[in-house]
Order: sequence, then structure tokens, then C-alpha cells
Amino acid sequence: MRLRLLVLSAVAAAFLLPLAWTLLASFGVIPDDTTRPPSWTWPPTLQHFSEIGVAEPAFWQELGTSSLAALGAAALGIAVAFPAAFGLARSGIGASRTLTQAFLVLASLPPMAYVIPLSDLSRRAHLIDTFAGLTFAEAAVTAPLAVFVLYGAIAQLSPEWEEAALIDGAGLLRILRRVVLPLVAPSLAATFLVLFVLDWNMLLVPLVLTSGEIKTVPVALSDFFTFERELDWPTAASALVVSLAPLALLVAVFHRLLEGFALWGPATETSDE
Amino acid sequence: MRLTARQTLLLLAPLALLLGGWLVVPAAVGLAATLTTYSPLTTTVAFVGGSNYGGVIRDPQFGEAVRNVLLFTAVAVPLELGVGFVVAYLLRRPIWGRSWWRAVVLLPWLVSPIAVGVMWHYLLGGATGILNFALAWLGLPEAPSPIGDVRLALLVTIAIEVWRVGPFVAFLLLPGLLAVPRDRWELATLAGARWHERILRIAIPEIWPLLLTVGMLLTGLSLGAFDTILILTGGGPGTATLTPALYSYDRAFVTNDWPLGAASAWLIAAGVAAVGAVYIRLARRRA
Repeated sequence: MRLRLLVLSAVAAAFLLPLAWTLLASFGVIPDDTTRPPSWTWPPTLQHFSEIGVAEPAFWQELGTSSLAALGAAALGIAVAFPAAFGLARSGIGASRTLTQAFLVLASLPPMAYVIPLSDLSRRAHLIDTFAGLTFAEAAVTAPLAVFVLYGAIAQLSPEWEEAALIDGAGLLRILRRVVLPLVAPSLAATFLVLFVLDWNMLLVPLVLTSGEIKTVPVALSDFFTFERELDWPTAASALVVSLAPLALLVAVFHRLLEGFALWGPATETSDE
Repeated sequence: MRLTARQTLLLLAPLALLLGGWLVVPAAVGLAATLTTYSPLTTTVAFVGGSNYGGVIRDPQFGEAVRNVLLFTAVAVPLELGVGFVVAYLLRRPIWGRSWWRAVVLLPWLVSPIAVGVMWHYLLGGATGILNFALAWLGLPEAPSPIGDVRLALLVTIAIEVWRVGPFVAFLLLPGLLAVPRDRWELATLAGARWHERILRIAIPEIWPLLLTVGMLLTGLSLGAFDTILILTGGGPGTATLTPALYSYDRAFVTNDWPLGAASAWLIAAGVAAVGAVYIRLARRRA
């Protein structure tokens, strides 16, 4: 037990060290290697956070765009994936499991495989640089994963609840909303969170579907580096911290919900003590 | 309950519309376009058959990119699965603050791949990075960033990818390990199984379908490696970290060689589809 805690702490420390380094730098606490032994700049300052707005005046607006697009895309993705997963799980088609696995393969397909024609068609449909175009594209990219996960959750459910509701005269949509939805609510919530993170962090899709009118945070970050307008480290670190903060906060608040995310098999723990 | 065909179609319709409009139609139109000289900038389009694909395959740069991405995938995927499995296995039995551990290990994955590139750019190079800080502690002179070294660049990008994705794999594998019935472990312990026997005979067989599924996602992710490398090296030095995805992006959006970009992107899709066919076969055999 003690050994396990020790190993775990060591692993966690190794994985978190780069993030801690970045967090310190965002407060202006950076090492000075010219002294022996190396020393640290002190005291911490909040100044670099205000410099983000100087280096990238639209940064706060981009943060808003990223949040809204990711929120919309995750909601849309769940909204179309949930009925589809229920349809697949209860269709009685023998190949529905294989079909669902095909959705996982689709979810594994790198965006590069389809963004080139997507950007061209979006331009022709006047969806380039529109919020709707971006949101729908992000939703389409992440919906296949949601179908796979929600299919797994629904296939676990015993159909007797639905059948009881059917006998009581409930229609299909009513059963979906009143019977199935509450039963898979934990999976839905966890999947929503995962999709939100994926949509928020997406680069390639917003990169080719926008050209300046609207911009997400990852695209703004990539602009800095591809156009050689290199930031100084503390300001870059502040921008990184600010762009990670909303996700970290979400996970901190909803970490219990995330435990309902199971790619395969039940998410619930078998009783352990 | 058993749905009628009409009900099933009704339930699948919204998904079909979304995927049809944003994935299937663009992909189909794009596939047809790769057989022509089509580009958004040209007005005349001629049918050229498979010559765009021939052009990509004969391009030595694309060959380099394929070699790099195969090495990247072959090293990164097993390491990510390994790191993830170890962390998940450590969290299997109740431990103080387990749900906080789960959240904490998720942190590297929350950083966007592009931000990961920005962060490691500074951590590995420059006077304020981790690398030079460690060297300074040891009294050694400052070293140039390993990202700029032809021999090290690809390995460094692999290590960074494992750092980013490994903890996420732990998050995905843990529910599978927790769902293994408790008496399996107890029986094995009673039978005197050592820790490595418990892993090989119980843990891995029990979560095999989950491991396959995570392996599929990771393989797709690696074969399309793009974001982090774009920022860290842009594919360089030379072609040391060039991947097919960077190659397609560059051809389509930077050098305006649209047909080559679109054709090479389809080759990535074909590679992932081939892996996907293997995945579906293996997963079906187990089910």
C-alpha cells in the first residue's frame, strides 16, 4: 500500500512537473541558470497575464469563441449520437455491434484525412469563418466516438424498463426521454465532458475552416509560432495557463462524473470491500 | 424493446445528416477530385486517373514521412498503452483520494496538442527551460534544444506524445480493470499467483476488448500525428519529423499543390481503414 502510493506519487510528479514549471513561469517565477547553483526570479507577479492582451489583443474574445463552439459542438454531438446509439442497440440488426465498431474506426480517422475537401466545400457553401460552420464540423468529427460509447452504455441496460413503458402506451420519443435518458445520464454527462475537451483542443478543423473572422485559442497559439512572432516565455506560459484553466476547472468540479466514461463494458465498479 | 426498421431509421437520421454533410459528402467529393487536376484555384479540370497518387508515392519526402510515422506509431502506441496500464493498475485497488488521482493524471491530456508543442518548445530550449536548469545544476554548460538535432528530434516528439497521451490511457483503462469481478483476483491470490501472473492471466485477458479499442484510437491518433509537431519542429530538421499529415497540410494549404495534398490525405485514410478492418476482426472474435 505504501509502496503503491510512493510509485504513484513519483509517476504523477514526473507527469506534472512540466505543467508546474509552466504555472510558475506564468507568475514570472523563472530560473536563472547563470548563478551557481541556479536560482529563481522572485517574487511572483501577475503582470504577464495582462501582457497576453498586449501580445494578442483578441485573446479573451478567442477564449469565448472556443468555449461557445466547444459547448455547442459537444451538445450537438450528444444530441445526434444518443438517439443513434439507442437505435443501433435496439434495432435487432445482427451486425449492429460491427457497425458500432465501424464508428470507432471513424472516430480514429485523423482529421487530416478529410479536412482538405471539407475546407473547399465549406468555402463554396459560404460556411467558412462562420460560427455555425465551425460548430457543425467539430460536432461531426467527435460524434462517432459518442455513438460508440453510448452504444456500450445502452447495450448494458436491461430492455425490461423500455418494454414496461411500451406496455403503458408510451411512444418512442417518450421512452427515449423518460426511461433511457435517466438510466444512461452518467454516461451522457461523462461523454459530454470528453467531447467538450476534444472540441476545445481541436486545431486542424478550426484552422482550415476559419480565416480570421472568428478564431479559437489553439489557432491563435499556432499563429504565433507559424508567423514567427515569438512570445517571451512568461507571457506564453500565462496564455497556456489561461487556456488550460477552464478545462482543469471543469474536470476538478466534475471528476466524479468523468468516472462514468467507459469505452467498453460497465463503468460501475464491482463492489470492493 | 425491439425497434421497427422505420423507428431505427428515424433515430439514426440526425446523425446521418450531420455526418453526411460534414464528413461523407466532402470525403466522397474529395476522393473523386483526387483523380483529376482539381484545385480550388483552377478553372479547368482534367481527368488524370491515379497519377496524383503516383506523384505522392514517388515523392521521396512522402516516403520519409511514412517511415517517420510508422516508427512514431510503433514506438508511441505500445508505450502509451504501457504507461496507461501501469497507472491504471496502481489505481485499481482502493487508495486514498482515488478519484482525485484520476482527475490529476488526466491533466496532461487536457492541454491542447498545440499548447503541448508551445510548452515543450520552451521547456527543452532556452535559458528558462527544464533541460538547461538540470544541466546548470550539474554544473554543465547550456545545451541546444534536442528538437533541433536530426537524430533526436523524432524520439523527442514520441516522448512528448507519450507524456500527453499515456495518462489519458490510464483514465480509459481504469474502468475496465475496476469491472473485473473481485473473486477473479481473490481466486488467483489463493492459488498463489504472483503479481505478474495476475497481470498476464487476469488483468490483460479481462480487459482485452478495451485494450484493442484504446489501441485502435491511439493508432489512428499516431498515424495522423500533426498538431504538436507542427509547432515544435514543423517537420524538421530537414524531414526528420515530417509526417504524412504535415505533408498533406503543407501541399494543400502552403505550397498550393492541392491534388498532391488531397491524394496523400486519402493515403492516410486508407492506412487507418486497413488498421480498422483488423480491429473489427479481432474485436469480433472476442465478442
